[in-house]
Amino acid sequence: MNDKHIEMRGVRKNFRFFTLDEVSLELEPGQIMGFVGPNGAGKSTTLRLMMGMITPDAGEIRVLGHEIPRAQAVAKRDIGFVSAEMRLLPHATLGWHMEFMRSIYPEWDGSYAATLVKRFNLRPAQNARSLSLGEHVKATLLLALARRPRLLILDEPTTGLDPVARHEVISELMDVLRDESRSILFSSHNTVDVERISDTITFIDRGRIVESGDKEQFLDRWRRIHVQLPPGATLPELPNIVKREADGHFITLITNQYSDGLKNLAGPHVTQVQRMNLEEIFVANVVYNRETRGQ
Amino acid sequence: MNIVTRKLIAKELYVNRWFVAGGAASGVISILLAATGKMGFNVGALTWLTAIIATGVMLGIYGVMNERKEHALQFVLSLPLSIADYVRAKMLGLSACFLVMWLVSSGAALLLVYWKESIPDGIAPYTVLLCLFMLANFMVVLCGSIHAQSEALTSAVIVVTNMGVSIFMFTVAPLPGIEKYMWGPTPVWTSTFWTVLGCELAVLVVAFTLPFFLAARRRDFL
Repeated sequence: MNDKHIEMRGVRKNFRFFTLDEVSLELEPGQIMGFVGPNGAGKSTTLRLMMGMITPDAGEIRVLGHEIPRAQAVAKRDIGFVSAEMRLLPHATLGWHMEFMRSIYPEWDGSYAATLVKRFNLRPAQNARSLSLGEHVKATLLLALARRPRLLILDEPTTGLDPVARHEVISELMDVLRDESRSILFSSHNTVDVERISDTITFIDRGRIVESGDKEQFLDRWRRIHVQLPPGATLPELPNIVKREADGHFITLITNQYSDGLKNLAGPHVTQVQRMNLEEIFVANVVYNRETRGQ
Repeated sequence: MNIVTRKLIAKELYVNRWFVAGGAASGVISILLAATGKMGFNVGALTWLTAIIATGVMLGIYGVMNERKEHALQFVLSLPLSIADYVRAKMLGLSACFLVMWLVSSGAALLLVYWKESIPDGIAPYTVLLCLFMLANFMVVLCGSIHAQSEALTSAVIVVTNMGVSIFMFTVAPLPGIEKYMWGPTPVWTSTFWTVLGCELAVLVVAFTLPFFLAARRRDFL
């Protein structure tokens, strides 16, 4: 149990207008998990629970083997947390923040920090208040990465960034991933970024985990099947179809359990089987789950 | 006390250094003004009070409320510390900031009373009570800011404590044990003085320690 970098079991958190319910997820060392959900799905709440910033009403949270929130101070020694919302202390410079982190974390890597300052085109003498959004995200990422943490928890780090800044941030994260003992939990509603760097995906919607699993398996299992029926012909009842759209004789099916057997069952009128990208899978998955739950 | 708490206390002193220096300088300048005559005394006393109140309010607003409002609290809470560590560092750090300014301003006020011959030494007990009241008042502001989850509630605490200064001055000064000796040549430390001092100390201690028991145990800090 303690080998896992993150372990959440049956976590519940009630707010006045929102409930995070029965959230369970696991992150193994060296794993990169994309935590995907629409706005207001509960991504930030889940990550804040992991960081001990809020306390669950029920359930168990362990991060790096430490019980959260009780042992959060010890756990956070090895966690780098970056959030799009997070801001540095407005009256201090980036250089002061770097020195502050160096004084707290013995593992602080000064030369790596200097490299990141150059790579991100940041100025240590600049006051945090005058940093742009992109600079702020890069600065907080620098402060998190130069500590060489075992676990990175990133809450929508690329939200609001321009394409160039997003590319810089993602490239740096890809570099981090070369060290296989480190793990990353990366929340986003931008599925392109998640698809690029993650090896595991967890979907969350309306406070509940919808599905969690290996990214490649998601991409393999979810397919769009196009069928063109001749006049008078009917399509047999097929299993594992999450969506069906008909336009005259043209039928489009979405399945979450694709196999050659399913294609054969669909019969000879299948014209095309398409792979879906993560965004399409995410939308289809969320819509299907909402329908199943009657929401 | 762990290293993160110590560093956060030092951080409060660093980021609030201009408020503290400005407040202390204003306090001293006000006292110098108060030494220039009757008119100067009245104006100086007023600006002295304003300097102390404003520094306390600034520390409450910028040190606690704005940290939350501007999302810098997330950065601080991502450091290796517990909620209790954060509250401890905040209380000690901001109290230290205010104490620097308060000691300079209060010391200057008492020096003026004892040094300036035209100001009767009998006013010293009232000056001590006023200085301690300002410290207790700040602690209430700090305690309120740490506990308040909203800007409106923090503002309400600030308004009430500001009103408290006027209420204190007009309530304590006419007390028989204070007023009778206020303009005398020597200070008289009456039982009334000690009673008021005791009340102020009680408020000070409660306001200072309450966050360690309540805010430090809060389940949600964001």
